[in-house]
Parts: sequence; structure tokens; C-alpha cells
Amino acid sequence: MKPMSKINLSGLKKYTIMLVLVGLMALFSLTSPYFLTLRNITNIINQNTYFIIVAVGLSFVMIGGGIDLSVGYQMSLVGVVTAMMMVIYHLPVWLAVVLGLLLGTVLGLLNGLIVARIKVFPLIATLATSVIFQGISYLISQARTFRNYPEEFLFFTKGKVLGMPFDVFLTLLIVILACFVYYETIFGLRLMALGGNEEASRLAGINTRRMKIAVYAICGFLVAIATMVMISKANTTHSSFGPGTEFTALTAAIVGGISFMGGEGNVPALVAGVFVLAVLGNGMQLAGWGTYPQFIVRGVILLGAVAFDEYQRNVRRTRQK
Amino acid sequence: MKGISKRFGGIHALRGVDLQLRRGEIMGIVGDNGAGKSTLMKILSGAYVADEGEIYIDGQKAHIRNPQDAFNLGIGMIYQDLALFNNLDVARNIFVGRECSHGPFGLLLDKKRMYQKAEDLIRELRVDISSPRLNVALMSGGQRQMVACARAIAFQSKILIMDEPTAALGVTEAGKLLSLIRNLRDMGLAILLITQRIPDVLAIADRVFVLKGGQRQDVLVVGKVTLDDVVTMIVRGKDRNGVQLSAVEYQSFG
Repeated sequence: MKPMSKINLSGLKKYTIMLVLVGLMALFSLTSPYFLTLRNITNIINQNTYFIIVAVGLSFVMIGGGIDLSVGYQMSLVGVVTAMMMVIYHLPVWLAVVLGLLLGTVLGLLNGLIVARIKVFPLIATLATSVIFQGISYLISQARTFRNYPEEFLFFTKGKVLGMPFDVFLTLLIVILACFVYYETIFGLRLMALGGNEEASRLAGINTRRMKIAVYAICGFLVAIATMVMISKANTTHSSFGPGTEFTALTAAIVGGISFMGGEGNVPALVAGVFVLAVLGNGMQLAGWGTYPQFIVRGVILLGAVAFDEYQRNVRRTRQK
Repeated sequence: MKGISKRFGGIHALRGVDLQLRRGEIMGIVGDNGAGKSTLMKILSGAYVADEGEIYIDGQKAHIRNPQDAFNLGIGMIYQDLALFNNLDVARNIFVGRECSHGPFGLLLDKKRMYQKAEDLIRELRVDISSPRLNVALMSGGQRQMVACARAIAFQSKILIMDEPTAALGVTEAGKLLSLIRNLRDMGLAILLITQRIPDVLAIADRVFVLKGGQRQDVLVVGKVTLDDVVTMIVRGKDRNGVQLSAVEYQSFG
């Protein structure tokens, strides 16, 4: 083996995204004097904690070779149910939060069961459950807006731990934990294997069905945590809160090098992926380009990232031959 | 294996096949396309479950319902497509599913031990892989075959099944692999070698098991038969009385 072949393609992608992030920040610091201020950067971090949590959740599903398009409406449903438990039924905050997290896990579990047991293609399965969750969310909430949460609930965003806002701390904790799971545990290795070659995983004695169900449940649980942060940050909830997150999380995941085909990805690059989108949005806003062009740019970025992923896959296939 | 039968819908892939394998021997499994070679071996490796028949290992009846059962009984299989993980390195490919664990409840990956064991294994097999950290996606066909081999024998296997191991290899790499298979036999493994390359079988196998149309034809002892004998048996088979079918009969069957 020549030393050249030791170059790890996913490693290359990891550094690319970091460079893109730095490049974008440099560009926007030139277009607006407000961009590279402590206040704006803190703002970007604070506004994106729950996107990172959702993206980490989604990464488990995607690395395992699946996809979850329903995370947005999972957030919508978990959000209104948690809010109603606190505001309408006056349940203690801790109980409402625990039940909300449980609900998120069950929704994920449901996706997992449909994908692994009934063997429905994940894209279609979660698209279908997404619409179902949307219906249930609106039915329960009657499209009402819920506000005036108990003060304790706002700890998610207003509380401080180790000098940083609780949601930032929580996000950091989740990112570190996810890194640990991917690199240091048997589950992490088997998940990479599952995404890399499902049939080979089965032949290696891995219970692939159980693994799939587990990753959707983990994703649901993390999405529910993200929901708590989101509705606490907004200090209000409506069934329309949450949808759209799936697109951002999915784009960030793919931009961050998590392969659409499974088996590849790393958490630091995923976080960088979220920040690339965030910086782009923030920078374009400060530069006075408005909201609508951002949609176009985001769509183009998603397409570009998927194309790059596919290109790398082809390069590898050619080398193998 | 005794009286093994397997159907896929209306197709009878195997009909009452008996196969006896001795310790420390290489048995070639030959037959035309669709003869049932891979199906028979996949039943032994737990990838398929037989509809009828029994499997005995060291005289004990074995229940093989999935690959894990087969693994626990010391049966390793190298599939034709190698069943490797292109996104993982050599050591991870060898150990995935049977990881070295440590920590609470054995949840954590003992990477140090895993890489050390992988390196020992590569050295033991004397194969041409410079580091267990190499990604298998970037390897040659022969090297990938070696990784699959290492994976199959890493856990004190008693029986190793290889499905067309030399099919995708060049002459030099195939030669290396055949000598590796001999080494493995000398280490005491029983090896089942599915192949279409009859000269390979005659070069290294002790006996040759011939399948045709999902039925056992005969077991030939290498050294007592010629290449022609084996090919004739594959093409024509034997009738129920164990007599080789004549050319006329063969032609009349079309």
C-alpha cells in the first residue's frame, strides 16, 4: 500500500466544511461590520442550539442508513402536548417534560417499527408519519397558541450552568455524548456497519432490525429535547412550530459530511454544518439580502452537498476497481 | 449434514442432500450454476434455514437458525461478495459483530485490544496488508479476500466455508490465496471450498463433492480422478443407482 491510499476521504470532507465555515465568516465580516461582533456570534450560537440537537438525532438515523423526515412534526406534536400539560392541565414542569420526552421517544419508536418491521422505505414511511403527526398536533391544539409557561420551564434557555445558558450546555453535552457513542462504543461501530452494508451486518450476527428501531427512538428522544429548548426559547407554542427544522437539520447533516447513503459521518463536522447554514442566513440578513434569497441558497447548498457526496462515492468506487 | 432440503417458492433448490466433512480436510463443492452449492453452504452458515434435514457437528445435533448460531458453533463463511464494510478499516471489518469490549456492561469498544489482535492475525496469516488501520475500500481484490479470510477465522472457527474465493482474483493473488487455504487446513480447520475453477479444487482439495440440480451426485477423492471425470460428473451427474449417466441418455435429456 502506498502512503497515498491512507488519505481518508471522510476526513477530507470534515476539514472542507471547517474551511467553508471560516471562509463564510471572513466573507460576511467584510460585508457587514456587525457580523464579527461578540454579540452577533453569541446570537448565532444561541439561536442554533436546538437545530444542532435535532441534527445530532438525525445523524444516528442517517449513519444507520435511514432518514427521518418527520422530525419537524414530531417537534410540533411534542411541543403542543408538553405546553398543554403545563399551561392547561397544570402538571408539574418536571412531569410535563418527562412525558414530552417519552412522547418523542415513542414517536421515534413508531417510525423505527414501521421501517424495520413493516419494511417501508424510510423516506416514505417518515413522510407519512410526518403528515399523521401534523394532523394529531393540530387536532389536539385546535390551532391555538399556548403561552405563559411556568417560570421553571424557562430554565431551559434562561438558566445558567458553568456560566453558559443551559441550552448551550445541554447541546455541548449531547454533542460530546454523541461523539463518545460513535467512536468509543460497540453500538457506534455496529451503527456504522449497518449503514455501510446492511446485509453484511446481518451476516455478522448484528440484530439489524433492533438497531434500526433503536436509532429512530434515539432520534425521537433527542428531537423531544430540542423541542423543549425551542418552545422555551420562543416562550410560546403553536402547532406550526417545528416543521422546517427537518430541512435545516438534514441539510446541515449532509453538508457536514453525513452520507445520504449511510455509514459515514462525524459529529464535529455536523455541528460545523449547522453553523455554515446559520452563518449564511445571518450574514445574508445583515448584508440586507432578505429572507427569500436564503431559501434559494439553502436549496442549492443541499443539492451541492448531495452531489459532492455522490462524487466522492464514485471516486472511491473507481479506485476500488 | 443429513437430508438437507430447501425450496424457494416453487423451486426445489436442494433435495435431501447428505454431506460429511472431516476435520483438517479441504472439500471442494462443485456443480453447475444453480446446482445449489451456495444454498447448501448458506444453510450451514445460518444465512438460510433448511426446510428439512439435520446438521451434526462432532456427533452433536446442531440447531442453526441464524449466522450467530453458526458462529457460536465455530462455522465461519466467506461470501462471494465478501460481505465487507467499505466504510470501515481492516480491524473493524474483522471484529464487527464480535467486538473486543470493556467497561460497564461491556458496552465500550476495546480499540487497543482490537487493533492488536488484528495485527497479530494479519501476521499469523502472513498476508500482504501493512496495517489494520487501512480502509478496505481502498484495497485490491486479493487484499479484501484476505480481510474476509481473517474475519472468518479470527474466532477459533472449526469449519470455514469459502464461496468462490478465487473468482475475482488474478493468477498471482489466486495462488497466494490457495496457499493460505492450505495453511489454514494445516492449522486444523475443515474447509469447504465452493468454486467453478475445477483445477483449483484438484490442486488443493482432498475430496470433491458434486451437486447437480439440487441433488448430491458423488464425492470424488482427489488423486483418483481426473479433471475430465469431475467435469463429466458436473455436467451429466449420476442416476439413482450411482451409475454415471451415459452420453446418449444425457443427450436425450437435452
